[in-house]
Amino acid sequence: MTFSAYLFYIAKQMKRGELLGSLEHIILLALARLDGGAHGMIVRREIEERTGRNISIGAVYATLERLEAKGYVSSFTGEPTPERGGRAKRLFRVEAAGKRALEVSEQTIRSMTAGLKDRWRTI
Amino acid sequence: MSRSSPPTFACWLLETVVPTSYREAILGDLIEEYTLRTESTSRFTASRWFWSQTCRSVPSMVWSSLRSRDCLISISIAVGVYIVMEILEYAAHLTISKWVFPQPTTYVFLAPVVFLTASSIGGCVAARICRGATKFLALIVMITVAVSIYLKVCTIPVPWWYEFGFLTLGPLAVIITPTLFERLKQQGAVT
Repeated sequence: MTFSAYLFYIAKQMKRGELLGSLEHIILLALARLDGGAHGMIVRREIEERTGRNISIGAVYATLERLEAKGYVSSFTGEPTPERGGRAKRLFRVEAAGKRALEVSEQTIRSMTAGLKDRWRTI
Repeated sequence: MSRSSPPTFACWLLETVVPTSYREAILGDLIEEYTLRTESTSRFTASRWFWSQTCRSVPSMVWSSLRSRDCLISISIAVGVYIVMEILEYAAHLTISKWVFPQPTTYVFLAPVVFLTASSIGGCVAARICRGATKFLALIVMITVAVSIYLKVCTIPVPWWYEFGFLTLGPLAVIITPTLFERLKQQGAVT
């Protein structure tokens, strides 16, 4: 099976509800960059530093929970620390299904933007 | 409030609104970041940041809990507790108006006490069963009071602040009483 056929197969297998939303896409990308597990505030900071978008921590966690329900990320509880008022961290990491979803999204964007740059130059 | 402790009311608001599944994680993250910010900037700037995060997080949290299945369970518990609360309130109304104070004008003074007591008990029961049910119970109380005011259920003429008191203090009693009880319990456990 060629790479494009493989992507087509995955895209066909993905239900409509499993397609990534824009915030889901950005958060999944941030999590992929922070390899090995990261908590919500680190994800929020990574997005702010790279895109300038000031996302609320509530939106980050709500999206992460949605991604977890879809099986794209998994979470585990860290140790509670005094700096956090004795509260434990919840660390997230990207799963294989999440990586596949990112690949499909990337391919979709690449396909949709192919040849557009030349057109935009003429506008 | 010490230098590294975040705004108390904002923390309470988050504890009330954020679903239990990630309440610890969000509060921990915010407290950790707040502590870091108080070291690099002023406490006022850090508090302002904490408040902005709280206010912007609340809508996502409410929406997220509304979408989850836990929400349906919480609503069912809230409705159940509200029905029991209404039965208790009605029994109290009957007892007071028949045997204690038969005159309706005297009862106007007692009605808020009965209402607030029932709301507080309801809030504590709902919180005991499921913490998330209290906000739905508060909402049900607020809606029913608003409908009662609109339909003019109370036949005795009362000033506007009397009705406004029912509309605001009832839901507040539902939310605040369980938190107060929890605090008192914790203090008792510490001492």
